This record gives sequence, structure tokens and C-alpha cells, in this order.
Amino acid sequence: MRKEHEEIFLSEYERKELLRNRIYGVLPVLAIILLICLWFAASSNPASKFPSPMSVWERYLKILEKPIKDLGLMGHIWASLKRVFIALAFAWLLGISFGILIGWNKKANALLGPIFTAFRAVPPLAWVPLVTMWFGIGEFPKVLIVFVGALMPVVVNTQAGIANVQKEYMDIGTIFHANEWQMLTEIAIPSALDAIFAGIRNSTSAGWMVVLAAEMLGGKSGVGFLIVRGMDSGDYPLCLLSMICIGVVGYLLAIVIQFLERIICPWTAKKSN
Amino acid sequence: MDSQKVKLKLEHISQSYIVKNQVFDAAVDVSMEVRDSEFLVLLGPGRCGKTILLNMIAGLEKPVDGKIYLDGEEINGSDERIGMVFQKRALMPWKTVMQNVEFGPKIKGVPKEQRREIAQKYIDLVGLQGFEKSYPDELSGGMKQRVSIARAYANNPEILLMDEPFGALDAQTRYAMEEEVQRIWQAEKRTVIFVTNNIEEALYLADRIVLLSNCPAHVKAVYDINLPRPRDTIDPEFLRLRKEISDNTDLAL
Ligand SMILES: Nc1ncnc2c1ncn2[C@@H]1O[C@H](COP(=O)(O)OP(=O)(O)OP(=O)(O)O)[C@@H](O)[C@H]1O
Ligand SMILES: [Mg+2]
Repeated sequence: MRKEHEEIFLSEYERKELLRNRIYGVLPVLAIILLICLWFAASSNPASKFPSPMSVWERYLKILEKPIKDLGLMGHIWASLKRVFIALAFAWLLGISFGILIGWNKKANALLGPIFTAFRAVPPLAWVPLVTMWFGIGEFPKVLIVFVGALMPVVVNTQAGIANVQKEYMDIGTIFHANEWQMLTEIAIPSALDAIFAGIRNSTSAGWMVVLAAEMLGGKSGVGFLIVRGMDSGDYPLCLLSMICIGVVGYLLAIVIQFLERIICPWTAKKSN
Repeated sequence: MDSQKVKLKLEHISQSYIVKNQVFDAAVDVSMEVRDSEFLVLLGPGRCGKTILLNMIAGLEKPVDGKIYLDGEEINGSDERIGMVFQKRALMPWKTVMQNVEFGPKIKGVPKEQRREIAQKYIDLVGLQGFEKSYPDELSGGMKQRVSIARAYANNPEILLMDEPFGALDAQTRYAMEEEVQRIWQAEKRTVIFVTNNIEEALYLADRIVLLSNCPAHVKAVYDINLPRPRDTIDPEFLRLRKEISDNTDLAL
């Protein structure tokens, strides 16, 4: 009886969901078409000096034939992404560990929390002069600056998630006589996973933004470098093309993270209301 | 087994909190005895301090005054022999049904295969076979409470505390669950302390009913319910008791 009831409920829900999804599938396409129309309109007036869609498309075809500094468009995107991935790997590892430490241990938070809050206020790019002085303008300083930018959101969100575990969940641990380690690993960390993932999401978009800025300050590869190159040579279609790539890659990164979250936290995807 | 043996004893338990710089009494001088293997119902109006009493027995908070004895020995803090079915947020949403139910044995370090076997026994007992891999958010309210009950039993407690486990369910599901709890209690005799604000539910389930007053909670009366099980809710004696208890109950403020 009960099981049947449950199935009917789910299938009804799924039918509605399907209908809703169709609308949600159409709307973004509509928005993109609208945006391109606007773009055409804005660039149709030569006085605006706005690169037209056609000129950007032509620039795209050209970069396929004639690489810039030995790298094609994909090569430059990959150069930027590589820096982000290395920086994110370290930021996640260290940020989550540190966030758990100061979220769980009140003494550690009292000791390190204020320093960290002060550091947070410094924008990642403010580190550029010091980092350049110490490490020059190679690959490492860029990764380091991205790391700094990506670290903050992970630490902040992890700390908040671990420090604010609902008392009711901790009570379950107490009733079953969990020790401190079990409290942390069986209850606090899993219940904080959605907060941790919010941090991971923010750090990814922050990392992607910071890498482009870091590349604009110096270097010979990456999408940020392409923008500076376009600006210096008056090649505005190249600038716009790079900007579009930044947007598309940023969007794809967000989707990858979402996918990751579904795999690591399957229970959030299965919520039925 | 001597059914008159005292399993749990509360002696002059009081609890108060500081709320807005004032002392707020939540329970005053509560004393009672719980007999071995009995089904004891704590009946009281809403917000009278029922959860607080259970939390103190479970060791989730300390009374400001009074003592609690289990098998004649004073207990302080949570005790392995006491299990609980919570009123709110009973399940861990990040764990499947199976993982929730096997939580107690897992914490104790029981090897995986063995604890799965224990958990499966209780999942079957509450009628949830086939839902082992489901997450709590995929289940109905009644099913969630079944999981919560199975989890408590799987840890093999000597005393089981149940805090308004069916308070959030619709009437239909509630009746079904009451029957179910009675069936499980008869199959797995444990001492049960069951909290409710519903007189009919109390009469349907209880060997004894402890009637609590409005906040601050204290014991108003104790009723022995000697009706045969399963109980008939329109039996004249049932109705008479229902009226007697009802007349003696404080209205929730
Ligand atoms: N930690 C606390 N600090 C201050 N007041 C509290 C605390 N815990 C509970 N109270 C108060 O004590 C009273 C009794 O609370 P309790 O949760 O035990 O009631 P209850 O009988 O379980 O109610 P319900 O039927 O709603 O479950 C309430 O007025 C509540 O606001
Ligand atoms: Mg309560």
C-alpha cells in the first residue's frame, strides 16, 4: 500500500518536473538569441566602434590559422586553466583542512580567526607587487596569486559550515556515544558539505577571475594575455573574442562543479521537494 | 522477569534556564519510577517540558537539581543503554536508510558485515525492506520515523525514549504507526518511555501514563492502564479513562 502510494507520488512529481524543465530549457536559448540581436544592433552603427559579431567570428577563424606566441585559442585557454587547476587543488586541500580546524576547534579559531579575517580583506591582486618581487613573473607567482584568491572562499565557507552544525544532528552523535573524531567525520563534515561546496563554487569562479587579471599584468600565454595583446594592438575583436571565451569557460566550470557535487553529495540531488 | 523491578528512577529533577536575565523554570521536582520492560507514556500539554525531561534522561542536558538512576546506579551524561527517537531532524539526511540504521553499531566498531545484518533485521522489522538505499528526503514522514525507530533498536538499548515520534504525521499514518510500535514493542520487549500530547495515543499504547502539568513540568497524576491489547478505542472503559485524564489535563497555554 505504502510503496504504491510513494510511486504514484513520485511519478506525478516527475511529470510536472518534465513540463517545468521544458520551459527552463527554452528560456536560456531565448536570452542568448536576444543578446546576439542586441549585439548586432549595437555594432551596426560604425560610430560606436563596437566590434560586430561578424568581425569576432572572422577573428576566431584567423587565430585558428595564425597562432599568437605559438599558441592557438585553445592553447591559451588551456594555459589559463592549468594555472587555475593547480591553484584550486592546493586551495581546496589546504582551505578545507584549515576551515575544518578553525570551525571545529574554538581555541584554534580564537588564535587564527582574527588574523585570517584581516588577510581576507586584502584583494588577491594586492599581492602582485610582493609576489613579483619575490618570485619574478614566471609561472609560479601567477599560480600563487590565484591560490590566494581561491583559498579565502573555501576557508570561510568550510569554517561556517562546520561551526554551525545543527544541534539536533550533534545530539544523534551524543546518543550513540560517538567520540570526537566520529562526531567530526560522521556528522559535522557531512552536514557541512553543502557549505563546503558553496566555498568550492566561489573559489572556482574567483580563481578563474584572478588568473585572467594576473595574466593581464605580465606573461606570454593565457586568455588574460590575449586581452592585453588585443588592447595594445587595437585588435578589439580579439578582446571581445577573449571575453566570450572567458564567459563560456566560466560557465562550463560551474557545470563541472555542479556535477561533482551531485556525485559527492547524492542526497542533495534526490530531494523531492 | 520481575515486571515490578524499577529500571529507571528520577529523583527530584528540576531544570531551569536563564532567559533574558530571568530564571525560567522548565521542570520542577519531577520524581518517577519506570519499571522494567514497561511501556510508560509521558503525557503533557504542548511546550510543557516533555522534551527537556527526555533530554535529561538521555544525557543531552544536565538537570540543575536531582538525580537519575539506571538499575540503581546514578548516571551522568549519555549512557549506552539508553536509546532515543527524536522529535525533530531525527535522521541524518546524508546517510541512506541502511547507513542511518547501522549508525549505532558502526560507532561501536562492529565490523561491516555484522552490523549490516543487525541493521537489516530492524529494517525488516519496521517494514522498510527495499528502501535500504533510499535517502531520508525521498521518504514520507511515516517512513522516516520507522527508520528512526529501527536505528534506535539496532543499537540494542535497554531503555528506548520516544519523543512525540508521530506528532508530525497525518491521523491515518499515525494510527498505523501506533499499531506498529505496539507490535514492535511486543516482539522486542524493552523499557519504553514514550512522550505525547495526545490522550488517545497514550491510552492506546501505555502500561502506565504519567500525566504532566503545564510548564514548569511536574507530575500531576499516574494512571495504571490495565486494558487488554490491542486496545479498542471505543471500549467504554477506554472512553471513561480518556475522559478522566482529559478532565485532569491542563490546557496548553
Ligand atoms: N535551552 C533552553 N533554553 C531556554 N528555554 C528552553 C530551552 N529548551 C526549552 N526551553 C523552553 O522550555 C519549555 C519546554 O520545552 P520542551 O521542548 O521540553 O517542551 P515540549 O513539552 O517538548 O513541547 P512540544 O510539545 O512542543 O514538543 C518551552 O517553553 C521552551 O521554550
Ligand atoms: Mg518536545
